[in-house]
Amino acid sequence: MGKQEDFVLRALEERDVRFVRLWFTDVLGYLKSVAIAPAELEGAFSEGIGFDGSAIEGFARVTEADMLARPDPSTFQILPWRGDGPATARMFCDITMPDGSASYADPRYVLKRTLQGAAEQGFTFYTHPEIEFYLFKDALEPGRPPVPVDHSGYFDHTATSAGSDFRREAITMLEAMGISVEFSHHEGGPGQQEIDLRYADALSTADNIMTFRTVVREVALGQGVWASFMPKPFTEHPGSGMHTHVSLFEGDRNAFFEGGAEYQLSKTGRHFIAGILHHAAEITAVTNQWVNSYKRLIGGGEAPSYISWGHNNRSAMVRVPMYKPNKGQSTRIELRTIDAACNPYLAFAVVLAAGMKGLQGEYELPREAEDDVWSLTDRERQALGLEQLPKSLYDAIAIAERSELLADTLGEHVYDFFLRNKRQEWEEYRGQVSAFERDRMLPVI
Amino acid sequence: MPRQVSHYLSAGNLARLGFQDTAVAAARLNDLGPPASPVVAILGRSADPDLALETLTRLHGSASDPDALMAALEDDEGTAMRLLSVMGMSAALGDHLVRHPGHWRELTDPTLGSTRPPAYVVRTGLLEAVGADASAPEPVATLAHAAAVDALRVEYRRVLLRLASRDLAHHVAMDDIAAELSDLAAGTLDAALAVARAKVGPDAATCRLAVIAMGKCGGHELNYVSDVDVIFVAEPVDEADETDALRVATQLASTLIQVCGDHTGEGTIWPVDANLRPEGKSGPLVRTLASHRGYYERWAKTWEFQALLKARAVAGDLALGRAYVETIGPMVWGAASREGFVEDVQSMRRRVLEHIPANEAKRQLKLGSGGLRDVEFAVQLLQLVHGRTDPNVRPPTTLSALSKLTAFGYIGREDGRSMHEAYSFLRTFEHRIQLYQLRRTHVVPEEEASLRRLGRSLGHLRNPVEELDKEWRHHRREARRLHEKLFFRPLLAAVARIPGDGARLTPDAARERLAALGYVDPVAALRHLEALTSGVSRTAAIQRALLPALLEWFADAPDPDAGLFGFRRISDALGSTPWYLTLLRDEGETAQRLAQVLATSRFATDLLEREPEGVKILSAGSDLKPLSRETVQTEMLANASRRGDAIEAVRSIRAIRRRELLRISAADLCVPFGVAAVGYALSDLTDATLESALAVSIGAVQADRGIEFGSRMAIIAMGRYGGYEMGYGSDADVMFVHDPLPGADPELASNMAQAVANELRRLLATPGTDPALEVDADLRPEGKQGALVRTLDAYAAYYAKWSAVWEAQALLRAEPVAGDKDLQARFRALIDPLRFPATGLSADDLLEIRRIKARVEDERLPRGADPATHFKLGRGGLADVEWTVQVLQLQYAGGVPELQTTKTLDALDAAVAHELLTAEDAGILRAAWLLASRARNATVLVRGRAADQLPTDPRERAAVAQVLGYGPGQTTAMVNDYQRTTRLALGVVDRVFWGS
Repeated sequence: MGKQEDFVLRALEERDVRFVRLWFTDVLGYLKSVAIAPAELEGAFSEGIGFDGSAIEGFARVTEADMLARPDPSTFQILPWRGDGPATARMFCDITMPDGSASYADPRYVLKRTLQGAAEQGFTFYTHPEIEFYLFKDALEPGRPPVPVDHSGYFDHTATSAGSDFRREAITMLEAMGISVEFSHHEGGPGQQEIDLRYADALSTADNIMTFRTVVREVALGQGVWASFMPKPFTEHPGSGMHTHVSLFEGDRNAFFEGGAEYQLSKTGRHFIAGILHHAAEITAVTNQWVNSYKRLIGGGEAPSYISWGHNNRSAMVRVPMYKPNKGQSTRIELRTIDAACNPYLAFAVVLAAGMKGLQGEYELPREAEDDVWSLTDRERQALGLEQLPKSLYDAIAIAERSELLADTLGEHVYDFFLRNKRQEWEEYRGQVSAFERDRMLPVI
Repeated sequence: MPRQVSHYLSAGNLARLGFQDTAVAAARLNDLGPPASPVVAILGRSADPDLALETLTRLHGSASDPDALMAALEDDEGTAMRLLSVMGMSAALGDHLVRHPGHWRELTDPTLGSTRPPAYVVRTGLLEAVGADASAPEPVATLAHAAAVDALRVEYRRVLLRLASRDLAHHVAMDDIAAELSDLAAGTLDAALAVARAKVGPDAATCRLAVIAMGKCGGHELNYVSDVDVIFVAEPVDEADETDALRVATQLASTLIQVCGDHTGEGTIWPVDANLRPEGKSGPLVRTLASHRGYYERWAKTWEFQALLKARAVAGDLALGRAYVETIGPMVWGAASREGFVEDVQSMRRRVLEHIPANEAKRQLKLGSGGLRDVEFAVQLLQLVHGRTDPNVRPPTTLSALSKLTAFGYIGREDGRSMHEAYSFLRTFEHRIQLYQLRRTHVVPEEEASLRRLGRSLGHLRNPVEELDKEWRHHRREARRLHEKLFFRPLLAAVARIPGDGARLTPDAARERLAALGYVDPVAALRHLEALTSGVSRTAAIQRALLPALLEWFADAPDPDAGLFGFRRISDALGSTPWYLTLLRDEGETAQRLAQVLATSRFATDLLEREPEGVKILSAGSDLKPLSRETVQTEMLANASRRGDAIEAVRSIRAIRRRELLRISAADLCVPFGVAAVGYALSDLTDATLESALAVSIGAVQADRGIEFGSRMAIIAMGRYGGYEMGYGSDADVMFVHDPLPGADPELASNMAQAVANELRRLLATPGTDPALEVDADLRPEGKQGALVRTLDAYAAYYAKWSAVWEAQALLRAEPVAGDKDLQARFRALIDPLRFPATGLSADDLLEIRRIKARVEDERLPRGADPATHFKLGRGGLADVEWTVQVLQLQYAGGVPELQTTKTLDALDAAVAHELLTAEDAGILRAAWLLASRARNATVLVRGRAADQLPTDPRERAAVAQVLGYGPGQTTAMVNDYQRTTRLALGVVDRVFWGS
């Protein structure tokens, strides 16, 4: 038993922890949890907790279902929302097979593998997500449109705002779990909130996003409201994205920064952006994985729909933020496609893989988009060589199915399962008769 | 006027004494006086008399008291020995004497031979040399910085000079010399710190700084010249701010490093290396105690704990240093219970065993096989494994640890002693190499003169070069031989009740060690060891000698437990059979092959257990290659002809087949020779078996009916057999054809032919000790409903009437293999126009093939099978590749003779050569086909029975991965590679076969 494990076991005693939740994530990004008693934890550290992998979406076939969840003691946290009584703690797990080799179905391993690949080139990958979500009044009822908690707008501050109470409590809880919050404010839509997490290495950030989604929904339940990360809940209001700032470090040095270069953006940074742009269509199925995700992408506003980059251009898919003097370490790029309903492990993995591909192939960065991409005409965009992102999940899948980059990054197991699952989602969606059709046709035909 | 040359200065006598250049020597001696005869004799006993005399001449020239020097040499034999032995070994120390002529008097001290200098005296001398008060709690140098740095060097060399004279003239043991060198280093670090304090100024008092020695210095076993590995720990004094204190401590530490490592007019001391600190080069130079603890609690790797085995507080604030050692020490011994420790130990063990095959390796004392590192690593590893439960074996010094490990039975007594001798020799040798120029080197020089000096210094005054080489070889061999068995031999002592071998490994310790080596059931393993080795019989003695090596080979294979168990069963069966023991006793390739086969393959183990004599096949003398069809067939036919009845005859054929299956599988496991070649070998073996069994069956039917067989018969191989692509689990797919002789009764001939085919299938399939060969004729016209044997004419009529495209496709793989040669040729002539149609494939036929394939995909894959890992019917699996190739053949083989082959890979090559397929697509198809074939064979080898997909049992799957060349923990990576390779193939199949 290592010292970290000892620390956890000691903490269980000292904090009177009665349950330990072992967390892991399925392929689609849903959090899974197994609760064990503290007495079982020692065994869990040394041998892992066995479970039936075939019961988890996308993990295993019935015949090879034995899998082990191995808690990562460095992720140990007491859950703050269970009141004052005996505490509950959680740890994230790595999933392995009984012979100890890592499971290729585990999204955390997909990201770890990709990070390892970058580490072999000397890079660490940092991310900083801005997570948007909506708060609705009351619980949801099927068939009834949800009602937002307020009608404020971007950065609005009102004394009685349910949203600001909510944000305060959520942030307190996140900080209690060791997740630093950078920034929070009311977003553009009614009831829409944004909370930004402090930048951290991509694996920690992905763990934090999983925690974040849980915390936000717990706090909402406690306040009698409902929180959702659905990418586009309203036709007429902005969707919820997860703009993500990313950067590469070589040791202590920000590899994107080069003093004196245009936008202080180094060659590494330029190749990295070129990689993301070049492979953007291939990875969209992962960064925007739901039928609904595409309604956000084609909706305009803060969401990009053309493959482009620009300096401080909010209509571009990749934005290079304004450089702040003497902040070389914070040079970064912002990717604006990802939505908050993604699987963060897979999304970060494919973004990193695409960027690294650009680095290895020394891709040329295309022309910068200087205008508001939305306001251009189709002809202008054609002339500028601006290609559109996939317009629907169907398009995204079709492109993803031909992507060696995606197969390589996700690993065969996840690649195969993911695309099959997404195709099925599309098939189910395609057959649905929508309110749109009824509203248009029933009255007239 | 020169004095008269005495006879002892004659060229002959000087040459006898070992001078190389006698004329120069005589001249120099004359210039010196010459000295009396005993002094010249002592010169002659030095490692390099010419060097010693040259240095003496120079010292004589530079000394202020040359007469006193000569007098001391002549009056005191001890002084002469000390001075001249140093001068004859170390050019660097000789230079020092010349530069500091007064220092020769140091070596007149008669106590040098008997008294070890106390560490505190050495430290005091060094501190006083830089003007520091040695009794102060934090001594500060008072000399100006540059002067202090030089003074430290001079004092260091003065002590080193005395030390070297003890080593060379008084033969102090190697471990004592190494310990004294470590004390000297510790004092030097303290004095360097005093110099650093002076440079940093009053701020220095705001922090407490401790220097922890690691590596050889920490282990109290330093070399003459090597990096001194250290770690710095600091704490603020009282109320001082921690950040400021750490900044000051960092200044002190980096100044200390410079003081020791800088080159000045007085040379350098040694480099101080702080890279073993947490996070290595990128981590902070100085950390607080809490920060160190935090790091080791959270991040440290097993090898870092291995480094900590030797941590020792040597300089600076010793109280703080000791607190560090007390804090970190227990963690070292907790390391053995960390997750992944077993894997770490295994990879560290591999690091011990895998040597750098560089050209220099042969002349390396440190690295390389049988080098110092071998011994050190092995000792440390045993300490980590057993030190957790037994504090007795924790000393940081290699030789002390070795003796403790021996005393408490973790290493055999004899082994421990030989290891001690080997290590002492190698270290002494290293010391002497370094002494010459005080350079950090571990490479044995190649020049004759250097080797001569080294040989003489180690006591070989006659034939120094040859004798040195011999001794070095001997110890290197011993070190290599011993460390290979160090882990395993004591396991036997634990179970074998051999009297008088001193302390033994306890059963608990033995289990601990077996578990660390990857044995899942150490209790059972010990039981097998006990059964194999107890007793005083010759067999038990041979087993005791052999098992240490076998245990290691098992540990490197996928299933060590199965290996040991299989070995026990075979040994039980063969008992004391003389050839078996002889075969094993050589401990060489035979035993290694046996270990590999037993611990990897249930298929081969089963074959061996049916007839343990098969071990002979593995004998190192045989080159483990499949025999040709002719050789096997001749033996089968000869054996069969000597048997009374058909059952006995076929039994003998099957026994030979079993032996050859073992040969092929063992060769495949031990000296992999390619999956295509395995397919050829297995198909050849099937040819021979069928040919012999056919002859026996015809004879049996004739004897049964009492009449001659009025027909000729042939066997046509189909499917993978026809393509010479059989795997270990393959049935033999065939068709039978016969052709009645002119004048024979066709009905009777058909009836008998039917009986022959049935007899052949029955005899080969009957359960028996040897594996059965299923002969499957379901691919014949009309399948199971059709006649088992048809005449050639009937085949012709059938194909003329019902030539469906799928039948033409099946015939692509038809290859006549046994029976009447002429009939074989005529059958081939009959089917060639069908399977290689001149007109190619019609659109309808292509459609039909695709439709059938679609149905097969849907129907044939068994319920519950995994389409991703099914070898034959999986996505991009064997069937996908083969159907794609076959469609190309049906389409183009009529016009392209090279495509007229039953072999998939040959057809692929032909398709590329004729631009029917791009080289890239063919490469992808070939890779998938080869991988699926290899994986299928590996699975059968591991599981011992036919298999259609990658095993789902985790241990079997891991074993398959290992057979396929993947390392431990890489099982899922193998599966991922398999799926990628076949997915890419599916992409090609989609385009080429499905036309999409």
